[in-house]
Parts: sequence; C-alpha cells; structure tokens
Amino acid sequence: MNKLTSQLFIQLYKAPETALNLDLGQWNSLIFILRHHQLLARYQFIFQRAGIFERLPEYAKHHLTNAKILSHKQRQQVFHEAKSIIGAFGFNSKHKIFLKGAAYTLSGQTAGVGRIYSDIDILVDKQNLDEIERSLVVSGWLTEQITKYDDNYYRNWSHEIPPLRHGGRGTVLDIHHNIIPIISGRAPNVSYLFEQVEITWDGFSVLSPSAMTLHSLVHLFFNDDVKNGFRDLLDLDLLIKNNCSDYYWTNLIQLAKDTDFNMELKLAIRYLTKILQTPIPKNVLQELKLPSSPAIKIIDFIYLRVLLPSHPLVNNRMYNLANFMAMCRGHWLKMPMHILIYHFSLKGIRSAIEYFLGKTFFLEDDTNHKKF
Amino acid sequence: MPKQFLLDLAPFNFLVTTDSSLVIKNLKQIYGDILKPTNSTTADYHVQILKSGGLRAFVRQQARFFSDQYEPFKPLSHKQAYAFLEWGMNYTVAANEMQHVIVHSAVLAKNDKAILFPAPPGSGKSTLTSFLAFNGWQLLSDEMSLIVPKTSTVMPFVRPICLKNDSIELAKSWFPTADFSTIACDTHKGDVIHLSPPSNSWKLRNKVVEIAGVVFPNYNKNKELEIYQLNKTQAFTQLAENSFNYGVIGNVGFQTLTSIIDKVDSFEIHYNDLKEVKLFLEEDIIK
Repeated sequence: MNKLTSQLFIQLYKAPETALNLDLGQWNSLIFILRHHQLLARYQFIFQRAGIFERLPEYAKHHLTNAKILSHKQRQQVFHEAKSIIGAFGFNSKHKIFLKGAAYTLSGQTAGVGRIYSDIDILVDKQNLDEIERSLVVSGWLTEQITKYDDNYYRNWSHEIPPLRHGGRGTVLDIHHNIIPIISGRAPNVSYLFEQVEITWDGFSVLSPSAMTLHSLVHLFFNDDVKNGFRDLLDLDLLIKNNCSDYYWTNLIQLAKDTDFNMELKLAIRYLTKILQTPIPKNVLQELKLPSSPAIKIIDFIYLRVLLPSHPLVNNRMYNLANFMAMCRGHWLKMPMHILIYHFSLKGIRSAIEYFLGKTFFLEDDTNHKKF
Repeated sequence: MPKQFLLDLAPFNFLVTTDSSLVIKNLKQIYGDILKPTNSTTADYHVQILKSGGLRAFVRQQARFFSDQYEPFKPLSHKQAYAFLEWGMNYTVAANEMQHVIVHSAVLAKNDKAILFPAPPGSGKSTLTSFLAFNGWQLLSDEMSLIVPKTSTVMPFVRPICLKNDSIELAKSWFPTADFSTIACDTHKGDVIHLSPPSNSWKLRNKVVEIAGVVFPNYNKNKELEIYQLNKTQAFTQLAENSFNYGVIGNVGFQTLTSIIDKVDSFEIHYNDLKEVKLFLEEDIIK
C-alpha cells in the first residue's frame, strides 16, 4: 500500500480541492489513516464545505459518508445525553460546565462538526462530588471495575473521579473538579474558569471560547497521552479561526497568565504556526514568541512529530521516540519525582505480574464487587 | 514476518494481515481463489490476527485481533485464531457500515427470492442455513443481512457458516466433501467450526435479491413443525431488535424495515425436522 506524507494531510485540510488529484491507491491509505485518527467525519465536512465532495471517487465517498452518518447520530445523542445528565445532577453542584468535544458540539463551534468523542466531560464543584456521585448512581451511572490503586490515584491525586458508565446507554461520563491533576502542584484555581462560563441557546453551561481554547491546549501540552495529537491540533486551529476577535485574544492571554499556563499557550502558538500556519494576530505572535534555546530544540523534536498523523502508512520518522519522550514529559509535569517513582515502580511490577498471571489478576471477583 | 492477503467479499474488500500459519491454512481452505494478492484493488477495511509475543510465544499462545491498529477485544487462545478473525470482520463491518440496514440474520434465496432468518444465537439458525445452502438454495449471508435502504432488496455478504457444538458432527456427516475450517474449541460459543458455502453462492455474491419473506426460526428437538404467522407489529419489533445499526441510521432504517414488513409475510416456526422446513419455505413462501 502507498505510504503518504504527513504534509498531505495538512495540504488537504488547508486546500481541500487538491483531493481531486489523488489516485485510488492514495485514497486507500488516506481512508485508513483518517479512520485511525477518527478524522473521517471531519474531512468529510471539509470536502463538503469546499464543494468537492460529490466529485470524489465512490470509494472515498462511501467511507466518508459512513463517518458522517455516525457523527450526525453522535451529535443528536450529545444534546440528549447532556439534558439527561443535568437532570440526574438535581440541585447538586452550582457549576455543571461541559468541556472538550461535547462542549464544542453543544456550543455550535466548528470544532464540534464531525468530531467523534468517546466520552462526555463535565466540570463541577469539588465540594459536591460525593452528592453528585450518589445522585448519578440513582440514575443508572455506575463506576466501572478498577483496581484499588487506580481508585486511590483518581481520588487523591487526579483532577477527576473514576469514569462513570451509563448502565443502559453505555455512555461514559468523566466528572472533573479541575482541568489537570492536583498532584502536579500546578492545578489552577478553578474560580478563574468558573468566571468564564457561558450559557448556550439550549441552556447548557460551557466555557467561553478563550477558556475553551485554553483547556484544549493545556490538554494537549500538559499531558502524557498525545496519540490524538493531530486531531487536537486541528481542534485548536478551528477554535481560533472561529473566534478571532480582539477580546478573544486578550481574554485568552490574561487567562493563561492567571492560571499559569503561559508556557502551554506559547507552545500551542508555536506549533499551530509552524505546522498549520494558523492565522494569529501579529501582536499576539510578538508577545508569545518563544526564544530559541537548546530546550526548545528538544521540545520541537517531540511536537513536530507527535502533532502529525501516525500510522504505519504515514512517513513520520522517529515518531515512536518522540511519542515516548512526550509521555515522559507529560508524566514529569504531572507528578513530583517521588510520586512518579512510586507510580512507575508499582505500575511496572503490576504489568509484569499481569503479563504472567493474566490481566484480571488485580480485579476483584464479581462476587465481591460492591453492589449498590 | 506477517503475510498479507486481499479478500474480495463484495460489497467490502478486506486487507488481511496475519503471522499465523493456522489462520492462513484456514483462509485458503474456506475462501479458495477469492483470497487474492494485495494491491489487486482498494481495500475497505484492514484486519489483523497476530500472535502475541514475549513469554506468550511459548506458553499457551494467544492470538490478538486488530481492526487496523485498534484492538477492540482481549486476546484469545491461538487455537481460536481463525474464528476470532471471522468475528472480528463482523465487528468491523457492524461498527463502520452505516449505508445498509444491518440485521443480525441469515439470508438465503431460491428463484431470486430471498428469505431473512433473524434469530439470536442458539436458535438453530446456522444449521438451517447450511442445510438450505447445500440443498439448492443460494446463501447470501449467515450472520448479517445488508438491506439496501428504502428498498426491499438485500445485498449478499457471503461468508462461511459458523456452526457450533453438536451441529459440527451433523454437518460433517451431511456434507462430507464440503470445505470446513479447523475446529476452534472452548470459545464463548462452545466449539465452533466454519463451513464454506457451495460455489454457486460465491458466484452470485455481487447481485442484490428481492426479499420475499421473514422467518424467525426456533429449533426444538421435541417439536414437530409449527408455523405462526406474525402480525405486522410483532414482525417489525422482532426485526428491529435484531438490527445492529437501526438506532444509528434512524429514520431511513425505520422506513426500510416497515416497508419490508408491509410487503412480505412473516412467520415464526418451531421445528425439529429441516426437510419439513424446506418444504414449507419452498411451497408457501417462494412458490
């Protein structure tokens, strides 16, 4: 099968009409790679918007249409789920702010069109977590079986509680009380985010476009998991193009200062301009420019790879090394050294034992599982 | 080194990657010359069965299934690798294809008239399928029927028939010259075997067929043939319950299934003799 360059994905995103020049062999690889990154529906939308979708080969149209149908269904479902989640909360928690993918869709951002997501994220008041969990259980949201260590990890160090799954519909709900792990020592004062709440036409709370962008870039640059790096970079590009007012930028810059995510904002601007040439006001570019240094060379090595598509059919040299380095960097940012060593040695021993004795070794039997 | 093949299973082509000689042997046995070299045409989906590495290469070897790069299931014993691939292909189609109404159902045709046999596992559907397929009927599918939206036609998706437990010996005695896979023991469905349908079914795999009836089969060894005609509501509800993507494709799915139920008769049958069933289908539905 044909190997593709990562440049092709950027070119098709920025100049969709060049898709008319692809041969079937290239389409075959393209469809596999876009499917792998859950980007089929987004590219369908891009081709449609450019008015060339109907002129694509049947093979491409078939698979892009499948993805479009699935993403339409998900879109409908998100509105329905959001309503039932808010209902299940009752009067618990003053703040119920939808985040990430669900928020893009609920607030009508272009980043939400054709966006596929596996769970719904919501930000709430930390002091109300217990009541929230109890009231959600009554509505059929249950904690999945996880090990005691993971449960403690979530409850003591993380910024969210263990994910809940709806017994009937299978939807997964992530309840956050902050946007990055508490243990990192860098979790911001959430009141800055609570000040940024906007209400959508349908009455759902979401973050303002600036805060939404900040959360999206923090998620990308303060994280050990970058496997959807390219998709996340496109999200950021779409958020910025959709919200280009002066206020959007001043608010974003101020918010990054208040929450101490200046560095993450600078990194986002750097790679958006380097990879996608995202249009960014000159004064913003000036203010957020990163001076070159040996450290930034290493960061460049990582992000100029992990923010591009990765798949056996894309040429992305040394992706695995860069991905490993991104994982190390993410863990390093998230945990102080002594916790990191403890976490890794425990996880290491556990995976060794699971390797020999089976994946379910640490899970309690169903018979011992807590029944509600 | 893993090997790659292209499986031309109209309407979808699969690129298959595997490093298991057991899987390759079974692929050749079941699909024969439908198994083609890669690059002969575009592939719709990429599926992989790979042996797990490390210590597992030596002790109780496992097989892992990947839908392209994604691993949706836990590994199974390597002895079940071929069945795992077949189930993984079904999963891949059900998870991605939204342009047919997909019903968990066998489909067989005679005289260009197709009958859907929607049924949950354990109802004797596959035994009935193999009996008909080897007695003059055309097999369109054993597991999933691909109904063309807003029509009452069904697209073949010819695959091997998956037989379980007691029906394995039965089928081997009925069709001694047919192509069987090796037996996969102790799966979640018990022992299973895959049986390649006769060549006529493979030849006709590109042509849609008009649906002439819906029959919900129930094998019961103590019951002689009983036939109940279902009313439209009962038939629709049961058909929708057996549909994989009815919820996703919404209105189109609803319209398609209702118009089929409106047009053709639906029956629930209880039986212990396949010959009687065949007679009923041929005399009362196909005519």
